[in-house]
This record gives sequence, C-alpha cells and structure tokens, in this order.
Amino acid sequence: MMGDVYAVYLRELIRLWRQKVRLVTTIVMPLLWLGVIGNAFNNAFKMPFEGDFLSFLTPGILVMTMVFTSTISGITTVFDREFGFLKEMLVAPIKRESILIGKMLGGVTQAILQGAIIIVLAIIMGVNFKGIESIPGMVLTMFLVSVAFVSFGLAVASKMTSMEGFQMVMNFLIQPMIFLSGAFYPTKMLPSWLKIGVKLNPLTYGVDAMRYFAVGINEFNVVIDLTVMIVLSIAFILLGGYLFRKS
Amino acid sequence: MKAIEIEGLIKEFDGIRAVDGISLEIEYGEIFSLLGPNGAGKTTTISILATLLKPTKGKVKVNGYDVVTQAGKVRHSIGIVFQDPSLDDRLTARENLDIHGRLYHMKKDERRKRIEEVLEMVELQERADSLVKTFSGGMRRRLEIARGLMHKPRILFLDEPTLGLDPQTRRHIWNYIEKLRNEGVTVLLTTHYMEEADKLADRVAIIDKGKIVALGSPSELKDSIGGDVIKIRCSDANKMAAILSSNGFNAMIVDNEIIIKAKKAEKEIPRVFALAKDIEIKSIMYKEPSLEDVFIHYTGKAYREEAGDEMEAIKRRWRMRR
Ligand SMILES: Nc1ncnc2c1ncn2[C@@H]1O[C@H](COP(=O)(O)OP(=O)(O)OP(=O)(O)O)[C@@H](O)[C@H]1O
Ligand SMILES: [Mg+2]
Repeated sequence: MMGDVYAVYLRELIRLWRQKVRLVTTIVMPLLWLGVIGNAFNNAFKMPFEGDFLSFLTPGILVMTMVFTSTISGITTVFDREFGFLKEMLVAPIKRESILIGKMLGGVTQAILQGAIIIVLAIIMGVNFKGIESIPGMVLTMFLVSVAFVSFGLAVASKMTSMEGFQMVMNFLIQPMIFLSGAFYPTKMLPSWLKIGVKLNPLTYGVDAMRYFAVGINEFNVVIDLTVMIVLSIAFILLGGYLFRKS
Repeated sequence: MKAIEIEGLIKEFDGIRAVDGISLEIEYGEIFSLLGPNGAGKTTTISILATLLKPTKGKVKVNGYDVVTQAGKVRHSIGIVFQDPSLDDRLTARENLDIHGRLYHMKKDERRKRIEEVLEMVELQERADSLVKTFSGGMRRRLEIARGLMHKPRILFLDEPTLGLDPQTRRHIWNYIEKLRNEGVTVLLTTHYMEEADKLADRVAIIDKGKIVALGSPSELKDSIGGDVIKIRCSDANKMAAILSSNGFNAMIVDNEIIIKAKKAEKEIPRVFALAKDIEIKSIMYKEPSLEDVFIHYTGKAYREEAGDEMEAIKRRWRMRR
C-alpha cells in the first residue's frame, strides 16, 4: 500500500521537478499582489487592527495561491485521463485509494513548496512574521488548505469532461470564495449582507487561521478556524474519493 | 483451467451493442488473435478482460479469476499494451518503466535488471534517459510494449501493437511476440492486419459487429473455405484442361491459364505434372486463400481495411496525444 502510494507520488514529484520553471512563474501573481497592492495600500487608510497592511495581506495571498495551485493540480487528473496514463494506473494491481492519495500528496507538495517560496519573498519584503513559532501552525494550515482543495480539484476532475468546465469552476466557485474570504481586506469593512457570505465561506476560516499563525491577527477563535478546515478537508476527501472511484 | 474463459459476453454502451454474445476459451501459452475491422468490438473485449470495463452480461474469467468479483487478482495476472497512447511523456523511458515496476511491486534490483532487458529488447537503450516527449510514434509504441512486458505477466493483452508502425518495426515486434511464445506467455492480440494474425496466431477469432464469425487456426480457417487456387501455363491449354477434367479436377481456362481448385495444392501439383506427360508446363503456381478470403466468405462482404482507415486511425492517435 505505502509502496503503491509512493509510486504514484514519485511520478508526481518527477513531473513537478520537470516543471520547476512553472513553480517560479506561478508566483508572479502573488508577488504582484504583495509588491503593488500591498505597498500601495500600506499606509492608505487606518486599519482596524494593529500592524501594517502588507503583513495583513500576506497570509491572505498565501492562502489564495495555495487554493489556486491545489485546485489546478487536482484537476490535472483530467489530463491523465485524456492522455491515457490513468489507464496504466487503473490496470495495475493497486488500490484506487493509492492512486488518489498519491495524486493528492503530489498536489499538496506543490502547493506547500509554492507557499514556502512566497513566505521567503514576503520576509525579504519586510513582512513581520511572528517568528519561528509561527512555522508549525502555518504548515498545518497550508496542509489543510491544500488537502481540501486538491481533493476538491479531484472531485471536479472526476465529473468534468471539458476544459470549459474548468473555467466555470474557477470563475463561479473559486474566485468568489477567495474574494469573500477576507484574504484582501478586513471583513469588518464589509456591509452586513456580504458578511453573511463571508461567515458561510469555509475559506474565511483558513485565511483567519493563517493570519493568526503568521502575524498574530485574527477575527475568530483559531480552534474554530482549524475545526472548519479539518471538516472541510475530510468532506472534500470523501467527495473526491467517491467521485473518483465512480468515474 | 484455461487462461481466459469468456461465456456469453455482452457489452452495451447506451443501448448500442459493442460486444454481442462472445464466447471463447484461450489456453495457457497460446497466442490468440482477435481479428476484425474498425468498431468490431476488439478493444471493448480487451478492456473487459483487463477490468477497465464491466460486462453488461456474461461470465469472464482471466487466469481463473472473475473479472468483476476478483478484479484485483486479475490485474495481478495480466499485462496490457493499450491501443491508445498511455505513457507519461514528461517522464523518460526509464522512469516510465521504473514507475511501472513499482506499481507491480517489483524489487529495486529486479526493476533495474528488467528495465535493461526490456529496453534492449525494443532497442531503446540509447534513448533510455530521454523524455518520451521527444520520441517518435514508433519509439513510443515500442516503449509501450516494453512496459507491458516489464513485470513478466503470465497473460499479455496487445491491442493493435503494430498500428501505424513501419514494416521494419512491425517485423521487430512480431519477433518479440514469437519470443514470448517460447517463454510460455499467453498472448491475446487484436489486429486488423490479416497478415499479422496469420503469421503470429495459433488461433484466430474473426469478429465483426461484436460477434465471432469464425474461429480456428489460420490454416483451419483457410481450409474451411475450400482450399487453394492453382494456376497453370502450358504449351497446349485446351488439351491439358481436358486431361485434368477427365481426372476429377474442375479445370477452367482464364486468359490462356488453367485454374483449378484443390484442398491441398502441394499434394495435387505432382499429379498435375504426372498427367501432363508430353505437354510442356511453362509455369505453375498456387495461392493459398488468405484470411481476407475467409473474412469475405463468412461475412459476405469485403474487408474494410483500406489505406484511408488506417490513416484515420493514426491521425486519431496523434490527436489524442496533443
Ligand atoms: N466508451 C464508449 N462509449 C460508447 N460507445 C463505445 C465506447 N467504446 C466503444 N464504443 C463503441 O463500441 C464499438 C466497438 O468499439 P471498439 O473500440 O471495441 O472497436 P475495435 O474493434 O477496437 O475497433 P478499432 O479497430 O477501431 O480499434 C464501436 O461502435 C464504438 O463506437
Ligand atoms: Mg480497438
């Protein structure tokens, strides 16, 4: 079982390594967010919290990047189906779960690597992280966010038959979730009817947890944050697993 | 126990019957060919045997295991080369084989040794560490075959292994398949090349529209439609034809050539010479009926193996790769 998962994972790692340039190009967008938006608004208005806007924004951008990367990497199983490699795995004497877990770990690895690059760049830009003690909490949050959204991507991929479907999911689900998560602004600033959306959005709690661990700013109790993320991860793993097995 | 047992297999896709009541048994060590035109149901049958599709109806056993209830054990017993490309082209040839070995629980040393063996077999050692992306279609095909053999399966499915390959490469692959016979591997091969089935297979099932229309060894099949065609040129065709006719042959003269049919031409030709006496025989030749003649005989229609079909199939493969 472990060997099977590793075989699937190893392939993902090799592919990731071959595409290492992409790892760099996909951090351009978060970098622009931090470098331009972050600095532009840094002293623009009085924030309803201690500290500067850049430090507030960084955890949000981190979560946003991981959500994108994870979802996309989950969806790449479609390519396996299109290009036949999935068949190679499906006729092998291994469990379907091993394929699923191996692919999931591949996506999680990619997302966490990307997160790490952003953290390093943020430190260079002068973001005030809490310190060494923030690392375990941030890694845990990154792990939960990426597990949840890789699984979500897998679920989507199992149902999806075309690339248009991919655009639909990104525009109608992922983008609104990110915009309503408080990644870019304190949710206190929103009108109350939008706050309902924020509260219902599970990603809000992921952003909140990340912000708590990274720079010590939070709106909710971090235990609640993590509970929501764990429940979300498990729900998406089950959904992804179920749809993947069925397809 | 048989290597493969299929009983009353039916597979429907949205009401369309791709496989329509196939029954057959394949012995261990046999090279068996499913021969039929595009859309006959060959790939569908193989996919069911390889547990990728579930039968709509019927009982199917591979290596003694039921493909529905014991799919895991079936997968342990088989190797497969798919009709459509299924390599990871961002990996090197060696990496593709290594991952395959891992998926089949081969130990490290065993993997390393076997990778060299199969790469040598398909003559890709020099390109072992190139990305598959940079391979030509024929090289990819050879690598797929190498991968199918990597874990030494007892039963091997080859779905159109030589589709779109040049004659030389095709001959190479035929040689590998011959080698497998010596190693006692059971091979189920699909093809729409008559020549391929004829040359390699111990037994052939001709299928059309999801049904088996004829089953037997290539020579049995060809014998079953009435034997060879013999053509004779000689100094006096009329006289010769008369002699042959009075000796029990059914002789016809076409374009100054005498044509007779015989069950076994090799046996009849010496008799023809003996009967000729003072008539000078300038040339004598005979043609065995081909599997193509068999196909025409049993389906009542010409075999749809035109160049266009093949080009279409190759194009389709390329599109899939993009
Ligand atoms: N997934 C599918 N959904 C619907 N119909 C299918 C599916 N797969 C195959 N078919 C249909 O089943 C029939 C048999 O297809 P199959 O691929 O088994 O043919 P084949 O003998 O392998 O042909 P070829 O020589 O072109 O590979 C065809 O009519 C095909 O359209
Ligand atoms: Mg086919």
